[in-house]
Amino acid sequence: MLKKVIIFLFLSVISLYAVEERNIQKVMDSKVRQVLDILKNKTLSQKQKDQKNVRIIDDVFDYSIMSQISLGKRWKTLTKNEKTQFSKAFEQKIKHSYLDKLRLYNNEKVIIKNLKKVKTNRITLETLVIGLDDTYKVIYLFYKKKQNNQWYIYDVELVGVSIIQTYRKQFSEFLKTKTVKQLIESL
Amino acid sequence: MKFFYIFLAIILFTFQGCTTKEANPEFNHTHIKTDAMTSDPLTINTTDDQKKENQTEEFEEEFNEEFEEEFSEQETNTASDPLSGYNRWMTSFNDTFTLYALNPISEAYATIVPQPLRLGLSNAVDNIQFPIRFANNLLQGKFQNSSDELGRFIINSTVGLAGLIDVATNQMTTPIPAHDEDFGQTLGYYGIGSGFHVVLPFIGPSNIRDIVGITADAYLSPLVNVRGLENYKIPNNLGQTIGIYSVHTINKTSLHLGEYENLREDAVDLYPFFRDIYEQKRNADIAE
Repeated sequence: MLKKVIIFLFLSVISLYAVEERNIQKVMDSKVRQVLDILKNKTLSQKQKDQKNVRIIDDVFDYSIMSQISLGKRWKTLTKNEKTQFSKAFEQKIKHSYLDKLRLYNNEKVIIKNLKKVKTNRITLETLVIGLDDTYKVIYLFYKKKQNNQWYIYDVELVGVSIIQTYRKQFSEFLKTKTVKQLIESL
Repeated sequence: MKFFYIFLAIILFTFQGCTTKEANPEFNHTHIKTDAMTSDPLTINTTDDQKKENQTEEFEEEFNEEFEEEFSEQETNTASDPLSGYNRWMTSFNDTFTLYALNPISEAYATIVPQPLRLGLSNAVDNIQFPIRFANNLLQGKFQNSSDELGRFIINSTVGLAGLIDVATNQMTTPIPAHDEDFGQTLGYYGIGSGFHVVLPFIGPSNIRDIVGITADAYLSPLVNVRGLENYKIPNNLGQTIGIYSVHTINKTSLHLGEYENLREDAVDLYPFFRDIYEQKRNADIAE
């Protein structure tokens, strides 16, 4: 009896918190709605809006994996210290860029479309942003983290352009002539 | 006994809360470790810790290779860039032009012309470019898309007052989606490579394939003058064509103010940044 109760409790608690496969759509839907509400809220200052929005996306975006992918093979050659420094700088860059994009928000509607399971540990979520004279496709790419079986975003594709791929290309080009230290500084 | 269950539940809740609140546990993990390493190397150098560390590193490695494969597959090919010197120069020329001429003019234009009118003009220009989309969907064997485009053109040209209102997208119960295709995409569809990258003055990033595409589409577009096709074309000479495109560009920019400045902020180096996003976008358009 006790065992059953413990297992039941444990399972129910896990499903409450983890971004599970079947919850991705729901979680993202509520997150998008929250962000839009914040953007539309006229009583908040820009700084308050930024802080609130960052908090909403923080637990679904895996910045550390993003920074690793963006450096590609070079990541392994970094010292521990450089790794932490780079991850920190990259996280700041990504957040800053994301908040900057949100500042352009002009009453666009967001439609969450379908979830696609690409591989056992990869899921994409397609969304449409309806602007004034155009509709933009935004795809969120999720991966399953082995350590805790939760899903995190590792890349976002805006109208066919992958954000992390773009950084990868830029960083590899940059590192052909310059050092990692310079790269961290330039971020 | 009852209290025990409740107590257990509370404990479990708090533990779960702790684990998920850590946005990036991996990152924190390494961070703490390096701190400990630098401050006191003696206490941490036990074999147990090292073993664990090796395990997680192996784990990371295997995992990263999967990502590495995924991302290198999609990488745009920019190995040959014979015009890079010129391209770089033209990118900074276009950049200066956009920042100091096009954007201020568009901003001023936006304050004079009300938004619905600007939107209408943008729609009308899109509508009149219908032959390009229709033909290129046909050429790629996308017959449903061609018929969608034809339907859109008929509806928007009539009910939509010569294309000023995009009725097919906004006012229909089942909207007919637009299917933007051009001859560059058609060539790509049949497996023709992009050729090397060329930055065009005022127009921006392009490549050999897309320059051929733009030229072919110009024959189909009613907005570009071509000798011998005067009856079909709206402008009668090059000057008028340039005039139409200038107004169109200013109008379009006025609907997207601030976006260019915002985008260029993401660049570490402007030219490779724009080159890469252009090639990625084109590849995605062709694959669609």
